[in-house]
Amino acid sequence: MEELILKLKEEIIEVLNLEDVKPADIDENAPLFGDGLGLDSIDALELIVLMEKSYGIKLKDPAQGKEIFKSIFVMAKYIAENRTK
Amino acid sequence: MSEIYINSIKQISAQKPLTDEWFDAPVRYSENYVRAIDPDFRQYFAPNVARRFGKILKRALVVSQKALEESDVTNPDAIITGTGLGCIENTELFLDKLVREGEELLNPTQFMQSTHNTISSLIAIEAKCHSYNTTYAHKGISFECALQDALLQLQSGGIKTALVGAHDEMTPAYFTLLQKAGFLGQANQTFAGETAVAMMLTNQKTEKSLCKIENVEKFYGNVETWRAASLQVSDIDYIMLGTNGVAETDRIYYENCQKLFPDIPLLQYKNIFGESYTAPAFGVYAAALCLKNGKIPDFLEQRAKLVPPKRESEEQRQNAVRKILCYNQLENKNHTFVCLTSKNLTPKK
Amino acid sequence: MSKILITGMGIVSAIGNNVQETLLSLQEKRSGIAALHYLQTSHTEFPVGEVKMSNGEMKKMLDISDNVPTTRTALMGMLAVREALCHSGFDAQLFEKQGVDPFLRVTGKRVALISGTTVGGMDKSEQFYLDFLENDTHNAYISTHDCGACTEMIADYFGIFSQVDTISTACSSAANAILLGAELLKSGRADIVVAGGAECITKFHLNGFNTLMILDKKPCRPFDTTRAGLNLGEGAAYVVMQREDSTQTKSLAVLSGYANTCDAFHQTASSPNGEGAYSAMKSALENANLQPQDIDYINAHGTGTQNNDASEGVAIVRLFGSKIPPVSSTKAFTGHTTSAAGGVEAVISILVLQHDFIPENLNFSEKIAALPFIPYVGAKKISPLRHILSNSFGFGGNDTSLIFSKA
Repeated sequence: MEELILKLKEEIIEVLNLEDVKPADIDENAPLFGDGLGLDSIDALELIVLMEKSYGIKLKDPAQGKEIFKSIFVMAKYIAENRTK
Repeated sequence: MSEIYINSIKQISAQKPLTDEWFDAPVRYSENYVRAIDPDFRQYFAPNVARRFGKILKRALVVSQKALEESDVTNPDAIITGTGLGCIENTELFLDKLVREGEELLNPTQFMQSTHNTISSLIAIEAKCHSYNTTYAHKGISFECALQDALLQLQSGGIKTALVGAHDEMTPAYFTLLQKAGFLGQANQTFAGETAVAMMLTNQKTEKSLCKIENVEKFYGNVETWRAASLQVSDIDYIMLGTNGVAETDRIYYENCQKLFPDIPLLQYKNIFGESYTAPAFGVYAAALCLKNGKIPDFLEQRAKLVPPKRESEEQRQNAVRKILCYNQLENKNHTFVCLTSKNLTPKK
Repeated sequence: MSKILITGMGIVSAIGNNVQETLLSLQEKRSGIAALHYLQTSHTEFPVGEVKMSNGEMKKMLDISDNVPTTRTALMGMLAVREALCHSGFDAQLFEKQGVDPFLRVTGKRVALISGTTVGGMDKSEQFYLDFLENDTHNAYISTHDCGACTEMIADYFGIFSQVDTISTACSSAANAILLGAELLKSGRADIVVAGGAECITKFHLNGFNTLMILDKKPCRPFDTTRAGLNLGEGAAYVVMQREDSTQTKSLAVLSGYANTCDAFHQTASSPNGEGAYSAMKSALENANLQPQDIDYINAHGTGTQNNDASEGVAIVRLFGSKIPPVSSTKAFTGHTTSAAGGVEAVISILVLQHDFIPENLNFSEKIAALPFIPYVGAKKISPLRHILSNSFGFGGNDTSLIFSKA
């Protein structure tokens, strides 16, 4: 899980182009949207692409993202349980 | 009809960004393709805000913000952008992936930032500006389309201030394509450049006003048919031309000038700002600075074609830079004229 | 101030290749949304509103030789502009390419073409992209890529235009073209304006909207609580506009008001309170010197996405209060024709004024709980219609409202 969380942080920094952010700066329990990293609806769509590309998880409805993208930890947990690659 | 002034112009280009220093010390290039000199964008945006913006957007936001600041306008009545190709870098990224990797796993950000009016709308979002917002994308006259729209509305009194922009980025791949198409990178042609220009037009003269903008005319089609039609300009001191070193293109400029406004000294600007679809904005910028400073730098003069201005008195000699007509043409098919005058010049009754 | 008259119109869309077919489809409630037929894409799961003609068929109708490089957007545009010009009674002989501008030469009039498009020649660029980079087999299409090229191909087909402008504000492009046309006429810079927009379906657009996850796999359901996105459409539509004091031509309708505002909220999403949409509609009414109760029908933007319909609905309620006129979206007929939408819906609005009917909001079944109104579904008897409000909203919160009034 530790390893997945780190990989996920690195991937998120890359796809969302979070310049100047290091994996250690991201609290895996902090909210990704709103106050935490300050991500928005377009970032959510990018995360959906990331989930499919790296882990073979296809989300049909952007609304599903609301629960899954609560924090890096929640996201990692979902990926660990549902990944196909 | 109220008089319209240009109260500030800010640029990012092949010249030093966000300053008029080029007027005294221009950077010269011998390459055929030159990317703009960017300022340190970190000074202007928190990284989190700008992380999704491509180059064209960052540049547009910075020059717009600076042009607004300098003219003391926070909320313009109109944001009008001209762009020949729009956000071509993101368009290319999305298209490249679509063509090479297929129709899955494409990125929403690239699509979202590929649309031409991303520029105008982002400026509005940053300035929290809910007023008139539009974008013109018509090849080499995109900027003049935007300028004419602003002028129409300012003259009719519908608006009092307009932020007019000219924005084009040039990627290496698109440069190659436009070289094939004959628009850029031709023999003897000035370098292919990038454009980011923002200017504030208002109906109020201020100490900072650079010049007055008297008219913007655009014509499509054969030069013979419209020359008698409606272009009425007199007492022109100089003509600022979009000549770019390609003999065939320049010949059209010189011939049409000779037909329409014979024996008026000719100026140029693409030798230092380069060629791009919205390069004519630099012509207007250069002319505005000449009017403001009351002088023409040597490197803007077209020596071979220069005719000495007719000066009858010392007083006239002092005020020899009073009216400049900017003439831009594309393929001898699109012709645009922007007439600028010194801000203190009173129109003849 | 002299009135701005609409003296001609032309349209090509999924529901017809001309004005007459469009009228019949609307009155007979025939949607043009269907499975993909012309566009080659792997996303066959999305129904679309394609124009039911191949490029070859369009070239034949226009008498353009097969080997002339053109784009689908330009071809649709030529067909619609041709119909619009003929409709307003210009002498067909003037269209013949004479090398010079016959309008200027013959009448001294300034004729402007203002066209809206966003992906312009992308249909060919996506087809030949690798060729552009790797060989010289399709170089002719490099110059047909950009938006301005599309307008010039249309202009050059007729050879009568003395001014051309291309507007690119995404899905409000054609509406903004009509708005600019009115300003040009009022300022006296043009005597005749042909304004509208054109856009074909491309893989670029289909995939782009798909990345935003706003395409519905079923026929779209504007203003329905079960709505799940839009269906992409394509088409072209243009109107001929003239000042009342400069024409004897019988007018089809009057463009009595217009406004463009910016939501300034988000690149792709509309604000929850519909600020941009509200102020566009409100300013258009002011521009027309009309009150909300004067509007007899709203042709909504109504794309069928969760976000648009909620936001537009709120804006309508804010402006019209408890007296909301019949509202419908015609996008379930045509699909979302993106840059052409403002033109397509201008033509539909004018047909509505001419024939006193209201197009049904197809596929509606369930009311949106948060809104106090349902879209028009045909039950109410229609009295003569005087003024119609047509909304077109684009990416970046580019919101335009046009008001058409009975001639």
